[in-house]
Amino acid sequence: MKTAVKDEITKQLGQVDYVEGKNNELYVPIPEAELPKTIAALSNSNFELVSLFCAQNFKAEGFTLFYAFEKTGFEEILVLQCHLSGNEAPSIAKTYPSACWYEREVTDGFGVQFQGAFDTRRLFLHETYPADFHPLLKSFKNSKITTVPSNEDNAYQFKQVTGEGVYQIPVGPVHAGIIEPGHFRFSVIGETIFNLEVRLFYKHRGLEKLAEGKSVQDCVKIAESISGDETVANAVAYCIAAEKICDVEVPRRALQLRTVLLELERVYSHLGDLAGMCVDVAYPVGASPFFILREEIFRQNEALTGSRFMKGAVAVGGLTKDVPAESLKALSAYLEAFKGRFEEATHVNTSFFSVADRFETTGKVKPEIIEPLHLTGPVARAAGKAGDTRIDHPYGLYRELKVKAKTEQNGDVQARFNVKAKEVQCALKMIKTVLSQLEAGEVQAPIQVKDGYALSMTEAPRGQNIHWLRIKGGVVDRYKVRTASFCNWQAMEHAVPGNIVPDFPLINKSMNLSYAGTDM
Amino acid sequence: MPKALSTFLKEPVTEHIQLRDAEFEAIGVQLKEKVDKIFGRSLAIRELDAGSDNSVEIELNNLSTPYYDVERFGITFVASPRHADILIVTGAITLNMEIAAKKTYDAMPSPKFVIAVGDDACGCGIQNESYAVLGGADKIFNVDLKIPGNPPSPKEIIRGLLSLVCQIEKQSRV
Repeated sequence: MKTAVKDEITKQLGQVDYVEGKNNELYVPIPEAELPKTIAALSNSNFELVSLFCAQNFKAEGFTLFYAFEKTGFEEILVLQCHLSGNEAPSIAKTYPSACWYEREVTDGFGVQFQGAFDTRRLFLHETYPADFHPLLKSFKNSKITTVPSNEDNAYQFKQVTGEGVYQIPVGPVHAGIIEPGHFRFSVIGETIFNLEVRLFYKHRGLEKLAEGKSVQDCVKIAESISGDETVANAVAYCIAAEKICDVEVPRRALQLRTVLLELERVYSHLGDLAGMCVDVAYPVGASPFFILREEIFRQNEALTGSRFMKGAVAVGGLTKDVPAESLKALSAYLEAFKGRFEEATHVNTSFFSVADRFETTGKVKPEIIEPLHLTGPVARAAGKAGDTRIDHPYGLYRELKVKAKTEQNGDVQARFNVKAKEVQCALKMIKTVLSQLEAGEVQAPIQVKDGYALSMTEAPRGQNIHWLRIKGGVVDRYKVRTASFCNWQAMEHAVPGNIVPDFPLINKSMNLSYAGTDM
Repeated sequence: MPKALSTFLKEPVTEHIQLRDAEFEAIGVQLKEKVDKIFGRSLAIRELDAGSDNSVEIELNNLSTPYYDVERFGITFVASPRHADILIVTGAITLNMEIAAKKTYDAMPSPKFVIAVGDDACGCGIQNESYAVLGGADKIFNVDLKIPGNPPSPKEIIRGLLSLVCQIEKQSRV
């Protein structure tokens, strides 16, 4: 398999050196001067940028940029590795629009400047942070800093849309409901949204810096706190990276139980979205059955792991502890009744005309923006892209479980509703299969920490999450996470214009992106 | 017409689902009694996410779902701080949220109370040492009650609410 992707790269780039990664990645070191040419060649042969991040003092003093790509049909991730002579690099955002946020993120974190970038505003560092502050520099030891007041000079510049009858609606960061904070700047004509600009990162908690210096096992907690409702997906992604670096073989029973937890997380997450969409069209009759089922899943989670969000269940090497046998039995019994109740709940909504009236044609994601922005998860699948990390880059048990990507073509709220409903069914089937084949044995392999680095991916309920971990001197040296929400928020800016303002909450709910997971 | 009448007289055909948890109900009833007495039958809560990992928000939202439905006890989550008696703060206060958090509190009419919900808001979470946060809610607010947990369950949250209301009753601050 690796030969195939190597051939493809050689075809595009000529003979290059490779370093084989620990987890099916292929690192290709590229001289700084050749970066633009290489990026152009990869773009021409449909390599999709999935992440861009920076590490300091990686193999050599200074900054190294990592450009991670995937290509349909190849399991391997290609990672261009570009060591910079200084703190400048050419921007690739005009070729790969998704690079815009990544580059701004790298500039904030490390002070690396991207030449030719079309947007150089700060991203996660808001006005309150001093201008020359770059938290991910190794020279900065994590400590409290002195903030600066906001003024006209450092104020964030929103895109201005002008013309007769155009007005702005600023919303947030504090919203009317129990929702995470973020700012939406709508430019509206009458009732129709003409432009939406999303400003996030209000919840920036400095998780990547917090990870530095942590022991490999302790860092699982940080992975879990990236986004509460993606606890298992992020913990597993982190653990896979650590396990690959340390050459740990996870016991089969732990892999099976991890799959159960991962899919339960998908089920409760999607149930919340399905309910939320009904709430946002003022149809509580439709929402209530989903809410009831969701609460029951939370209780199953608690019986299995001691936590409704399954926090503290996953550990490097497997699981922290085995799952009680009686809880597994109770789960199997519960799932028997779940299917019929779920189908009925779905039918209540899909058969009601006033729900369809609000769902259909609302918040369309156009297929042509999927690859340039690397949209992922149900948002992309509802617009026709059959991508799913469990299939494209299988991890854990997914290679043998043979997941089928659930797709729809319309890209609207209805399509996202349908995809999520189908994925709940699919997850249930998978849980049942795994439970029926559950093997006895250990759930935790002993680990001996080794130095190294690896990239891993999981398909969280919201889509593809990428983790890159570097262990140095037995502790975490760099931990970079890119969640599905980070990519999909940019879809919002494209899906919303043309809709009316009252449909925005519905579109937002149908994508249900994580603010915490984006802001880190 | 006869048909409609027979429908009315027939046993309901809907399946009975056992939703209620006895302990939760008992706390709720006590809470309602206090809310009726001290807050004129309606306790309005404004939620402020100052940097949580979103799991606390999910549990707070769960309080309004059919299993819990706390509006029965006179508890309402309101859209504006202007309508609120209590501010529930979640997450360690991030630097990026500091101003918005203070403005939200300032917009509330007095008397007002603050509850920190979740380990991070209580100042005992893993994010405390980060450059990006001020720390727990007590860094900028006078916190009346802390409900720790990662996240606390709906039952723990409502139990906390009851204890705050009892505390207020004792102090007769209202």
